[in-house]
Amino acid sequence: MVVIDESVDASPTRSEEALLPLIFTQRADAWLRRIGVGAFASVVLGVAGLYYYAPPEYTRVGYAPTQPVAYSHELHAGRLGLSCLYCHTGAEESSVAKIPPTQVCMNCHQAIKSDSPLLEAVRVSWQGGGPVRWERVHQTPDYVYFNHAVHVRRGVGCVSCHGKVNEMPIVVHEKPLSMGWCLDCHRHPEDYLRPPGEATNFAWQPPRGQNQRDYGLTLKDQFGIRAPETCTGCHR
Amino acid sequence: MNRGGAEIAEPPLIGGNHDFGSLTTLICRLVERRAPAWWWISLMVCGSAFLMGGLMTAYVISTGIGVWGMNQTIGWAFDITNFVFWVGIGHAGTLISAILFLFRQKWRSSLNRFAEAMTLFAVACAGLFVTIHLGRAWMFWYLIPAPSVNKIFPNFRSPLSWDFAAVATYATVSTLFWYYGLIPDFATLRDRASRWLPQRIYGLLALGWRGSARHWHNYETGYLMLAALATPLVVSVHTIVSFDFATSVIPGWHTTIFPPYFVAGAIFSGLAMVVTLIVPLRVACGLQDVVTIRHLDTLCKLILMTGLLMGYGYTIEAAGAWYSGNPYEGYMAYNRATGPYAWCYWTMITCNVLSPQLFWFRWFRTTPWAMFFISLLVNVGMWFERFVIVVTSLHRDYLPSSWKMFYPTWVDIALLIGGFGLFSTAFLLFLRFVPMVAVSEVKAFLPQADPHAGSNPPARQAESGNGEPGESLWIESSDDDEEAPVHGVLARYGTPGGLLAAAGKVRAAGYQRFDTFSPFPVHEMDRAMGLSRSKVRIFTFVAGLLGVTFGQSLQWFLSASYYPLVTGGKPLNSAEAFVPISFETMVLWATFGTILGMLILNRLPRFYHPLFRGREFGRATDDGFFLAIDADDPAFDPERTAALLEQSGPVSLEVVRGD
Repeated sequence: MVVIDESVDASPTRSEEALLPLIFTQRADAWLRRIGVGAFASVVLGVAGLYYYAPPEYTRVGYAPTQPVAYSHELHAGRLGLSCLYCHTGAEESSVAKIPPTQVCMNCHQAIKSDSPLLEAVRVSWQGGGPVRWERVHQTPDYVYFNHAVHVRRGVGCVSCHGKVNEMPIVVHEKPLSMGWCLDCHRHPEDYLRPPGEATNFAWQPPRGQNQRDYGLTLKDQFGIRAPETCTGCHR
Repeated sequence: MNRGGAEIAEPPLIGGNHDFGSLTTLICRLVERRAPAWWWISLMVCGSAFLMGGLMTAYVISTGIGVWGMNQTIGWAFDITNFVFWVGIGHAGTLISAILFLFRQKWRSSLNRFAEAMTLFAVACAGLFVTIHLGRAWMFWYLIPAPSVNKIFPNFRSPLSWDFAAVATYATVSTLFWYYGLIPDFATLRDRASRWLPQRIYGLLALGWRGSARHWHNYETGYLMLAALATPLVVSVHTIVSFDFATSVIPGWHTTIFPPYFVAGAIFSGLAMVVTLIVPLRVACGLQDVVTIRHLDTLCKLILMTGLLMGYGYTIEAAGAWYSGNPYEGYMAYNRATGPYAWCYWTMITCNVLSPQLFWFRWFRTTPWAMFFISLLVNVGMWFERFVIVVTSLHRDYLPSSWKMFYPTWVDIALLIGGFGLFSTAFLLFLRFVPMVAVSEVKAFLPQADPHAGSNPPARQAESGNGEPGESLWIESSDDDEEAPVHGVLARYGTPGGLLAAAGKVRAAGYQRFDTFSPFPVHEMDRAMGLSRSKVRIFTFVAGLLGVTFGQSLQWFLSASYYPLVTGGKPLNSAEAFVPISFETMVLWATFGTILGMLILNRLPRFYHPLFRGREFGRATDDGFFLAIDADDPAFDPERTAALLEQSGPVSLEVVRGD
């Protein structure tokens, strides 16, 4: 009971202490509300931005580096009708498609436009100046075991992953090459399959009267295609 | 204090002869005064360990976990030992804050705040270890079912996914529960602070809490809901952690005793940590009146009980190995007790089963240094228990050709110390910036807090100005601007009983727009003010229902429809396997719903309120009991309202102006 009396003694000083100015005025609530709304909006915008700017759909698609030689796929593969395989010899039989050596260029360009200034870098290379330093456009990460031949020989067309290269004066990274994009096809290959011989044909269409899916299912069945969806299918 | 001679007098929960104000001052001392020397010294020691742990973490993440002593056979060692150890430590905090609350164990109020803080920091340590054990710690987000360009999702049929959901939910819910309990105490600190920055920081954290009875009403219901949600949650967490082991086929792990045995062990180790922390702290902080010998005695009894459960668990493990007739299980049990790690096993048995038996003797339960020593032994024993489970089970499995030994490297040891550094540093900072005891809760257990406590008349007579002439009751309004509209009349009472009686009178006089304010919820005030049942529970229910629906349908959609991948031969839609995560989402959403419901119903945060202009109103979060009648009440009349309040026995009266 003694202590309670003490509190009475103590209370006057306490109430003098209590003469404090307001900590928050009327405006504080309005400001804090604005800050709260702003913080919420920035989080939403931040997440939305992350989802828009971070995926390969944004970071990779559209990548079109300037090459040391102004080589046009649109001219060679498109108008002149060279087969993809003429230069990318590994596409059908190797795990990588391969960049052609200078020899391949010179097969024709020893005779055709042999002194064009556009081919200067090729001529330097041909005369012993080392390989042409092409800029790589499409690249899978090191932890992906991608086999080019398997895809081409089972009827995945060049166009499915590289876009219409035959219409590109400068090669552009057209597809995202993200894991989800790979899985889209691995889960439903029938949407993309074509007869294996038609892999390099940019103008290929399913036979008249059949849609892609039904025709793709036939091919999937015929060639026993079981695109792996397990982790170890691509990551070993 | 003497309540009828026939009853056996229970020892008081709060010792000494404290009143509300002195209790607040006592508990807030470490926050409000200059930090004592012991605090700085401890911070330097623990902070160094913390910094070293930080550097080690950076080293492990940048170099890879090959710097640990693990090998092909022993894929989990100190990392998972530490993880399970720290998650376990956390469990006692939730036991004290939630389970004992549901059991109406009033003594918990002296311990729950710092035990909950202990939970948070222990779970942070657990999170650290489980994150770096991934090896590529930056890939931890793979565990979150967030849509990404990879278009793959976690395997929801795996206990490791459940573990992530459980620990993440546990960390979130514990933090929110802790913060929820802190709101009134932050208001106390706000109102007592005299410097600019603490006023603002505590003010922001307090969300404009002003101790209104209408707020307390929703708040208490919310607290009950949170306790009811945290109770099954805490049991689920260590159950699921045990599934990480029990669903495997490793001898020594694959056993049905694991879930209860893990939960009991978790609470056992956590209670020991509570004792380890509180025994020195109550002396250092002068809190012997708040955490009395009675509290420690009860904690020791709980340690004894859970220690017996541990003994039962160890026995069942060995008995199961024998009774199964499985040679691998049998060898595992034999190898634990006699193999190269036998010293770990016997350390565990001695510390966990034998040492708590001393608590059968009253002397050990009432002598702080003795129980401190035993609690340290239990901490050590429980760490070794996890080591025994993880390492000795792994190091000799089915193939003798792959038998190996584990030897920790210096990085293992440094990280173990670093974990303790993180825990203790965070705890010391907590002690300095947050009241370590729930101020608003312990006040309610003072004898004076009972509104019907008739046996302490000195306070009543001294504090209430019944006999004085009316004019001395009125204090000058703090606002000089006399033109501001009158917000209402504020009356302060000396005791909760006085406030309760006044509220009854005001309500009987026909007022509706009035409110009472107190530093702790006054019993029966809900009835005196005619408040209907709080609607917070509806928020809890609806949010929980949405949460469980969300969890179940998310897992169904991702596992059976969007990302159908057969694992372990289980069906794509394994509804049973989805139960743990659905449960976690239910608890998580219900927690959000409860807190949101409390805030919405109380119209908080509201940092400015005209009543804050009241000169003495700051005491509403300390030792003052206030009643305010709004000027816009239909029954309000400057003369008659003032007269009514003058007759209600207040200590002081004030007209509050402002809008």
